[in-house]
Amino acid sequence: MLRVAIRSLRAHRLRFALTVLTVALGVAFIAGTNIFTGSLRGAFDALVSQPRADVTVRAGATDGGSIQATLPESLVAEVAALPGAAGAVGVVSAEGAYVLGADGTPVGVEGPPARGRSWVGDASISAVSLVTGRAPSGPGEVALLESTAQDSGASPGSTVRIDTPVAGVREYTVTGLVTRGLSGGLGGTLAVFDLPTAQEVLTEPGTVTAILVTALPGVSQDELAAQVSALVPEATRVETAAQARDDVVQRIQEGFAFFNTFLLAFGVIALFVSTFLIFNTFSMLVAQRSRELALLRAVGASRAQISLTVLLEAAIIGVLAAAIGLLGGLGVSLLLRWVIGALGADLPGAPLTLTGGTIALALGASLLVTIASALLPARRASAIPPVAAMREGAATSPRSLRRITFMGLALVVAAVVPATAGLLLADSDGERAAQLTGLAAALGLVGVLALTPALARPVLGLFGALFRSRVVGRMASANAIRNPRRTAATASALTVGLALMTAVSVLGSSARASVEDVVDSTIGADFVLIGPGFRPFTPEVYDAVRDLPGASVVTYVRTIPVSIDDAQSPVTGVDPAVITEVLDIPVVTGSVQDLGLGSALIDTELAQSLDVAAGDTVTGTFVNGEGKLRIVGTFEPAGPVRGFITTLPTLNSIGTLTRDTAVYIALQPGASPDAVRQELVTRLAAFPSIDVQDQADIKRDINGQFDALFGLVYALLGLSVIVAFLGIVNTLSLSVVERTRELGLVRAVGMSRRQVRRLVTLEALLLAALGTLLGLSLGLVFGVLLQRVLAPQGISVLAVPFAQLAVFAVLALIGGLAAALWPAWRAGRMPVLTAIAQT
Amino acid sequence: MHDAAPPAARARALTKIYGEGDTRVVALDAVDLDIEPGTFTAIMGPSGSGKSTLMHCLAGLDSSTSGDVYIGDVLITGLSDRALTRVRRDSVGFVFQSFNLVPTLTARENITLPLDIAGAPVDEEWLATVIDAVGLADRLDHRPSELSGGQQQRVACARALASKPAIVFADEPTGNLDSQSGAEVLGLLRRSVDEFDQTIVMVTHDAGAASHADRVIFLADGHVVGQLERPTAEEILARIGELAAPRGAR
Ligand SMILES: Nc1ncnc2c1ncn2[C@@H]1O[C@H](COP(=O)(O)OP(=O)(O)OP(=O)(O)O)[C@@H](O)[C@H]1O
Ligand SMILES: [Mg+2]
Repeated sequence: MLRVAIRSLRAHRLRFALTVLTVALGVAFIAGTNIFTGSLRGAFDALVSQPRADVTVRAGATDGGSIQATLPESLVAEVAALPGAAGAVGVVSAEGAYVLGADGTPVGVEGPPARGRSWVGDASISAVSLVTGRAPSGPGEVALLESTAQDSGASPGSTVRIDTPVAGVREYTVTGLVTRGLSGGLGGTLAVFDLPTAQEVLTEPGTVTAILVTALPGVSQDELAAQVSALVPEATRVETAAQARDDVVQRIQEGFAFFNTFLLAFGVIALFVSTFLIFNTFSMLVAQRSRELALLRAVGASRAQISLTVLLEAAIIGVLAAAIGLLGGLGVSLLLRWVIGALGADLPGAPLTLTGGTIALALGASLLVTIASALLPARRASAIPPVAAMREGAATSPRSLRRITFMGLALVVAAVVPATAGLLLADSDGERAAQLTGLAAALGLVGVLALTPALARPVLGLFGALFRSRVVGRMASANAIRNPRRTAATASALTVGLALMTAVSVLGSSARASVEDVVDSTIGADFVLIGPGFRPFTPEVYDAVRDLPGASVVTYVRTIPVSIDDAQSPVTGVDPAVITEVLDIPVVTGSVQDLGLGSALIDTELAQSLDVAAGDTVTGTFVNGEGKLRIVGTFEPAGPVRGFITTLPTLNSIGTLTRDTAVYIALQPGASPDAVRQELVTRLAAFPSIDVQDQADIKRDINGQFDALFGLVYALLGLSVIVAFLGIVNTLSLSVVERTRELGLVRAVGMSRRQVRRLVTLEALLLAALGTLLGLSLGLVFGVLLQRVLAPQGISVLAVPFAQLAVFAVLALIGGLAAALWPAWRAGRMPVLTAIAQT
Repeated sequence: MHDAAPPAARARALTKIYGEGDTRVVALDAVDLDIEPGTFTAIMGPSGSGKSTLMHCLAGLDSSTSGDVYIGDVLITGLSDRALTRVRRDSVGFVFQSFNLVPTLTARENITLPLDIAGAPVDEEWLATVIDAVGLADRLDHRPSELSGGQQQRVACARALASKPAIVFADEPTGNLDSQSGAEVLGLLRRSVDEFDQTIVMVTHDAGAASHADRVIFLADGHVVGQLERPTAEEILARIGELAAPRGAR
């Protein structure tokens, strides 16, 4: 039987290759992410050997993100004097050191942080090491991360301008290039100064942000940590090297877990789509070979043996696809690595390894998909009676669609329940609502897929009516309808991909529209000044523009994180007297104007999850320690401000670095926005990292981020759409072979090659149109449902991107045309005589 | 009028060779043949004698190795695929032994298929005449799978006649039919010659079928080895016997 299977595969080489390819695509994705994760694990191992102080003391009770807490430098000596300590080094490390490129704008700061830090001479504890040149020493010197230097066009010996939170823009001489391990964080830029310079430009003289402590021989890290903890202030974190390592590993793993799941999901979708294709291929091959199989039965093969040949073929395809997929997976993981590398992180000692686990995963996924989708055709093959061998053209009788249609209807009806529940729960339990919507989408999708055979006839009839008048069109639509199951399976692959793309597209455009809506309805300011990546900036910016001519209001806000019950929320300090002139804060109870020292408004969502109301006092952990806020009212979390709103003096009393998050500017009536912007740009010449934005800029900025995200999703979903088109190629070329005689006949009675090609092309178009129609409709329903469910999360406006959906439809049809090229060419080239002579 | 008209199809020194070297087969060896318009010609001969090959070459379905073939006045040897297709579409009708109809089209659509392909208008009056002649007026909306073998062949005949081609070729049109259905199809072909002045060339193994023809041409080893005008089935059988005897003696 193995021989029969191999022969058959060899006879249908091309189909076989297409099938292998489609499965391999999905497998490559799954294997690629797996290989990448594996190599990350290698990186973790390398991390263990990376230099690290025995105990690290960090300023700040919580991770303040871009807000950096500090410790007095005098503490370094005290720590060094501890009985268990061999020595201690003070370190300054903070965000906001923007390295400027040749054009005067900060390099590489769109997402990840721009960090500045002090140089640590002791290589056994430093997270940064020199690659070339020497360490920075003195106020005018800096060492840069290799990628940062590259981006800014700087090199050892050249000068570079850096915008720092305290010192503003200054010119430095580059003394060397450095590299950092994974613990240094991924992406972003890094500038390294000597300690006094770092203090001067990043924090303030006499402060450090961390202390690296080395233990005396014989003193354990934990002992030392205990001694240090007893000494340092409360709002300080003390970590042993082991803890720090675990921390880093966990942080990276969490970061990549999301990334991995994301990629894995697309691999699984592609595999799911390819099951349709394999199912179709096997169904058609079995139908074509029914006489051959019947002959095998007639000469004594058992039913089980017939099933086995088909399954064996599937298994061979599965194994080959796994092998090719693994190779592709290596490529995918290299690509991932390159992407991570481009983000500025080197993965130390992380060779790409093909582990047994990865191989098993690839094989398992591949075999599962191929064998599962060949099961039904195998059963059908075994049901072919031996007598079929004697019958001329043993056409399989069309099986009734009743059962599958009933099933589809039941599933679609069943999907209504979770969909409704999701909508009802949207306001109260967003997470549950999203899950229910996901369930509804899955049920609905499978339901529609099951309904597709029944839908194929009327839908294709409708499309077919467009070119009913031409015999070629009539034949094409008749062919497409001839085997509704096959047509449905082919179109379904496209349906899945397009439904997902459409849903994402609806969600994306709704998100954009919602953001624009929020900007319109909440930002009353004419101009907003923000730091790169919305990071805080020096108050000198405000000082430079506070007396801006033409402005009626110039005010700044500061946002710091507070940790309550382990969850972080933002606290924004505002000037209650004028803030409402530049921000529309949708207050529910209380008022912004009545805010005083120590009091705050809380957003309704947070109030609910913390279970607090006006009159309560909330205690939370701020960067420099504990603080209290008295709640005097609530507001809707609709605009750019979330969490708590309080006064600037309240924020300062809690004690943070003086850094502003945004400066809002409203114009006097009649002032020329262009003139004011001109003036702003002039005044902010010393702050190249500050962005002057009007409302249109804000929208463009936010939308740009959406576009990047959705672009990635489209690209990944495109994978499954490609699989779907390969499916159309496969189905059509099989169907051309199946109809050799029919095509020969029409050629004999005068159909030209071109007409035959048109016939096949039209059929492909019909398949694509069916898949597109169903995909778009389904995706539209999913998208609208998702938007409704996510409305409380901020996607409050529904916007259906008709233009984009039209583009999808056109692209899908073009894809259908492209998919027809090869089968049509083959059909046209088919010699008339052999087609007729074939019996 | 017939005398003035050129032959409906002509073969001059028509030679067809398959394969090379050891596998070389001379299927047709310098065959000369004229098919007069408005006649019913039967081609007979043992299996492998080149009947189908001759018909395919005459009909422009296959290219000859050497020699010329004319359909009407048109020299079809060496024509491009596109031009050949047009000749087949406009000047030639076909009835094959089996699988004559496109399964997805109804009987009526199958009949008008060559016209539809050409985008030519359907002559409804003529169509009604043809459909009437094949006696399938009540089956027009059926698909081939809903027709008997004989009915299918009659639909195929109607298709071949519908475009009023210069010549109709039929390769064992009754080969798969019982004698009753076969007789119906043969009667139909005969009538189309008598009543509509159609030109028909038919390949057959059956002396009874051949006896419907005006002329029977005998083929052996790629040569025309004889012909009979308006023969009876007995005469045909006798000739077949004569032709086979020397062969057997060789
Ligand atoms: N495509 C081909 N390749 C090689 N040889 C061929 C091919 N087609 C026909 N032949 C050979 O040409 C010769 C004539 O074949 P043809 O089909 O014309 O015979 P026929 O008279 O129609 O026979 P039958 O009565 O069995 O249909 C045969 O010897 C056959 O083997
Ligand atoms: Mg023959």
